[in-house]
Amino acid sequence: MILDTDFADEMKQYSGDTALECFNCGTCAALCPLFHDNFPRRMIRYVQVGAKERILENANELWRCLHCGLCTHTCPREADPGEIILGLKQMVVETRRRS
Amino acid sequence: MTNPNDKENKDDTHNGKVGVYICHCGGNISDHVDVDKVRDAAEDLSCVKVARTNMFMCSDPGQNMIIEDLENGEVDRVVVASCAPSLHETTFRSAVERAGANPFVYEHANIREQVSWVHHGDPATDKASTLVAAAAAKAENLEPLHPVRVDAFRHATVIGAGIAGMKTAVDIARQGIDVALVEKTTQPGGRLNTLHTLAPDGEKAGDVVDAFYEEIQNSERITVYPNTQVNDVKGYVGNFTLTLATDGENGRADTTVDTGAIVMATGSQSYTPFNGEYAYGEHPQVITLPELIQTLAENSGDENTLTVNGKKIRNMVMIHCVGSRRIPGIHETKEDANLNEYCSRTCCSAVLHAGNFIRETFPGTSIFDMYRDIRTYGRGQEELYNRAAENRVVFMRFEADAPPRVESSDTGNFPLSVTVSDGLTFNEEMTVPADLVVLATGVEPTDISGIAGMLKLPRGNDGFLNEVHPKLRPVELPVTGVFLAGTCQAPMDSSEACNTAGAAAAKVSALLGKGYIELDPFVAHVDEEKCTGTGACVDACLVDDALELVETEVAGQTVKKARVTAALCQGCGACVAVCPENAIEVNGWTLKQYEAMVDAIAAA
Ligand SMILES: Cc1cc2nc3c(=O)[nH]c(=O)nc-3n(C[C@H](O)[C@H](O)[C@H](O)COP(=O)(O)OP(=O)(O)OC[C@H]3O[C@@H](n4cnc5c(N)ncnc54)[C@H](O)[C@@H]3O)c2cc1C
Ligand code: SF4
Ligand code: SF4
Repeated sequence: MILDTDFADEMKQYSGDTALECFNCGTCAALCPLFHDNFPRRMIRYVQVGAKERILENANELWRCLHCGLCTHTCPREADPGEIILGLKQMVVETRRRS
Repeated sequence: MTNPNDKENKDDTHNGKVGVYICHCGGNISDHVDVDKVRDAAEDLSCVKVARTNMFMCSDPGQNMIIEDLENGEVDRVVVASCAPSLHETTFRSAVERAGANPFVYEHANIREQVSWVHHGDPATDKASTLVAAAAAKAENLEPLHPVRVDAFRHATVIGAGIAGMKTAVDIARQGIDVALVEKTTQPGGRLNTLHTLAPDGEKAGDVVDAFYEEIQNSERITVYPNTQVNDVKGYVGNFTLTLATDGENGRADTTVDTGAIVMATGSQSYTPFNGEYAYGEHPQVITLPELIQTLAENSGDENTLTVNGKKIRNMVMIHCVGSRRIPGIHETKEDANLNEYCSRTCCSAVLHAGNFIRETFPGTSIFDMYRDIRTYGRGQEELYNRAAENRVVFMRFEADAPPRVESSDTGNFPLSVTVSDGLTFNEEMTVPADLVVLATGVEPTDISGIAGMLKLPRGNDGFLNEVHPKLRPVELPVTGVFLAGTCQAPMDSSEACNTAGAAAAKVSALLGKGYIELDPFVAHVDEEKCTGTGACVDACLVDDALELVETEVAGQTVKKARVTAALCQGCGACVAVCPENAIEVNGWTLKQYEAMVDAIAAA
């Protein structure tokens, strides 16, 4: 998969570019009540590196999020993972609508 | 030069009154060795006048027992039975000396490492008693010795004028000792001449070099020899003679320098990737870290984006551990080249330092940093890593056996792509498009086979110089009077290089400060009456010039006799073994002393 180096910039319009703050500690995934395949850390990482393709492939996962806010509350880097998940939903809808 | 066996010593010869002092080592020894039994056995020996024990012989009360017995004339030879001589032999010799006796009427019995740590019960006690008996028998036959004193030039030579060499020269000169600073290139500075700002605190490398160079130029004691290499070395500690070969406009000119000590500060060089290693040499936008650092010095910070080779860099990838930390069986290298299994230690910090500079000066350039481990060790260096994260450098981690693949591409108009199985993204394979790939190349030792061969200096498999002991004698080489400073020893950053330089300078100053040097007296000694000049010893001697045959007159006849140069003799005894006349002995280890020890062991 080829990374999209402009993706973090693109995300600014939805949720800011706070994903670049993430240092992959996994606290958010450990606390997330979904206990699902490193959610939301995996998604945050995809935004950080520009793996837009992967996010679109796994978009359904985004709609499992309960928006309980635990991750955002505990993220030591204030990367705001909950807000990013919300922004990703908007990004996915927008991208699908356009195509 | 004084002879360790002068007349005064001979008169001193008599059967010794031996004092034996046995240490408990706080239980280290006495838990396994019955020290009272060892003392009783020692008391029974005819040569032993007193035998005592103490909880810690190295403590002040322990040492004072020895001093009192010597001062009262109870004993005139001393044996301490304790730990290994490498730990406390000098401690007890100096106690003997403080009591006004000759420090060489002392013998050491190791009953800890050689007994209590490896044997238990009666066998341990028996072996300790045997070793004490042998030491006492030898001590009875010890004669006072005097250190070999050699005059020394109050002059040192530093080879290599990188930051380590410059700092060494400046520190030695400040102690009032003259210094020759020999540099093979046109100017001092070494690697720092090619660096921009220095990690971790951002000081300009040029400013550091200038500060040292100014002091060097203003110092009357330091002579700089640029374009110069050492061509020949003769002599020994305090009395080396070097031939320096200087390349000039009119060809090569030789200079002779008399010098008392030599400091190796020949530094290291940057690793050059082989053709095709991460596409290096195949693609102009694949460069090394030193090449990046050079362009940083040239780029103007007015632009939003870094420019390299005339191309704007929107995204760049930095790859760590290139030419370092290679693993046999996994990594390959150029034929005949070293595998470089070590960590080069400075590249992690230097890469992140450069990355921070780029992100802070050229925000339009984004960075992917691909590492195996981040090793920003040391004060103020971890901060570089944190700052890089704050600067939004994206880190990706790869395993040693799955390095990133660098390929030409035209993805989104990026000329290069780097594909990596990223440990931080659950080992998913990702391809990063890039305008530039920077290889964090490590360091290799400078090729010093010439000078290292001349001085017989030991190097490790990695090619770096080996000190005598990393903790006990960290800046000394096994050739007496030769020291090391900086990255000729191991990869280190410039602060660490300066630390070793300061240590080497202190050692040199202490060595040459008095104008003479005292060496251990345990060297070969020829009994001229017995010597018939066979020369067998000269053939057996392993050290150049330590032993020679000289002509002298005896009863009107010219005869040949062996002569020892005490400053060069290592005291190995190879000569003793071959002399048909038993005319050569090693002071402090004579055949008579050995025989006494063997008799004592046989009798035990
Ligand atoms: C890419 C890179 C980036 C780095 N960045 C930093 C940094 O940011 N901060 C930091 O603290 N450190 C950094 N370092 C480490 C720093 O460069 C070294 O610690 C320092 O240069 C070591 O100094 P030195 O005197 O030991 O060796 P060198 O600088 O290598 O100097 C050795 C000198 O000896 C001369 N010489 C060699 N052989 C002979 C001979 N036979 N006869 C005469 N002269 C000889 C050489 O010409 C040279 O002038 C970096 C290193 C590299 C490779
Ligand atoms: S808690 Fe924050 S920093 Fe840690 S992985 Fe999640 S988003 Fe990243
Ligand atoms: S300092 Fe870092 S980049 Fe250099 S060899 Fe060590 S781990 Fe690798």
